[in-house]
Amino acid sequence: MHITLEDLDLLNEEEFIEAEKEAERLMAVWEVKNLRGRAAIFHDDQHIGQKRKELKAMDHPSFDREGEIAFRMKPVVDSLEGNMLIHPLTTPVIEVDDTCTKARAVFWSIGIEGLSKFREKPMAILSLGMVPGTHVKMNGEWRILAGNWQRTTKNEYHAGWIDDMQATNTRPPLTKEQDRNFLGKYAYQKDEVRKPVPCPPMKDTWQKYPDETDPSWQFQNIEE
Amino acid sequence: MIDMERKKNLLLKIKKLEAYTEIQNTMGRMIAAVNFRRKEEVLSYFALDQEDVSFEYADEGVFKGKHAVQAGIDYLLGTEIRPGEMIDLQLTTPVIEVADDCETARALWWSPGAASVLREGEDPQAQWIWGDFAVDFIYENETWKIWHLHYFTLIHCDYHKGWVDDTSLINRKNTPMHEESQPTTWHNPYHPKAIRYGIPAAPYPYDTWRKEDENWMLRNDKTR
Repeated sequence: MHITLEDLDLLNEEEFIEAEKEAERLMAVWEVKNLRGRAAIFHDDQHIGQKRKELKAMDHPSFDREGEIAFRMKPVVDSLEGNMLIHPLTTPVIEVDDTCTKARAVFWSIGIEGLSKFREKPMAILSLGMVPGTHVKMNGEWRILAGNWQRTTKNEYHAGWIDDMQATNTRPPLTKEQDRNFLGKYAYQKDEVRKPVPCPPMKDTWQKYPDETDPSWQFQNIEE
Repeated sequence: MIDMERKKNLLLKIKKLEAYTEIQNTMGRMIAAVNFRRKEEVLSYFALDQEDVSFEYADEGVFKGKHAVQAGIDYLLGTEIRPGEMIDLQLTTPVIEVADDCETARALWWSPGAASVLREGEDPQAQWIWGDFAVDFIYENETWKIWHLHYFTLIHCDYHKGWVDDTSLINRKNTPMHEESQPTTWHNPYHPKAIRYGIPAAPYPYDTWRKEDENWMLRNDKTR
């Protein structure tokens, strides 16, 4: 049993507009999942400078375009040989605003990696994390405005997550303190109580935090 | 003013959303049937009446046409499941595009998985089996069916050794290829000496099926 044009004829104007809005909202949820899936592929395929479809909201006034381009052009390993970053996306929670042009999301992720910084034998890494983010629709396309993979665990495969925590690989390398203030801020620590960050976007996220550049929705569990 | 164009637009969105749900359910049921080794059920999700129905599995080749697909599924899933055996593939990171004519769809999933494989004289071997599914669907007789399915191996290794130390399982044994199989189109699993290319690619929005786009999942041009 499928909906037909005749079914739509039965709707009054108010009902039709409501149906349009709901369809648009559900399409947005789908498109945000697609967008993040595409971004995950580029996360794994790190050919620097290769032309590719733009997925970020480079033209949004709040977006640091120059910083993004500089970040993309900077190698963090000598060779791509043996390197892999697979962070599958699971457990999506996505909330779209009333205009269907802004969406907040949190995904969870269990991932595997191979890391070879200087052409040495790669390290097998098992990682758990989340991907919180804000997305905006610009010129008819959904783009990522903000939000990166946030680490929970990232350990040498055999060492396990109790005994090992690998820092984010940067050049120059981060100190433990710097890493803790960057993507490792909410990472698992065996001697600490875990902080409930990011909070998945709640149903009222756009009423409570209407500004798309406001990241505080992620921290509402620790602000309460 | 609610004109015919608005009605048609809404109807198209509803049809696409219905397809989106149906496709994910079909693929989820198919994977469950693979995991429970229900060969006949797996086959029931394929569009066997389509002349060019196909599936490709890792480096086992392409099985094309009804007879070859049946033979290939039998080859992979045909034996009785024995005590201690397990395969458990999961679907994550969906990127799904339904054509504007709602006659076909393209989809990609990342698939973390695990297995227990029987060994002579010792306990089963615990294995990681991670890969990707790139699939074309076709709408026939009011049902979404799997038209072309391509499984790409990412890692296949002994659980205890991990994907860097154990590459012994990523390529098939040097035994004769199945007589119904045609040459493999792409096989580039993770290897400490290999480079990642972001293949399979994500599908992009499209209006209708065109023969020239049939290898969308092998596209290394990432500009769309």
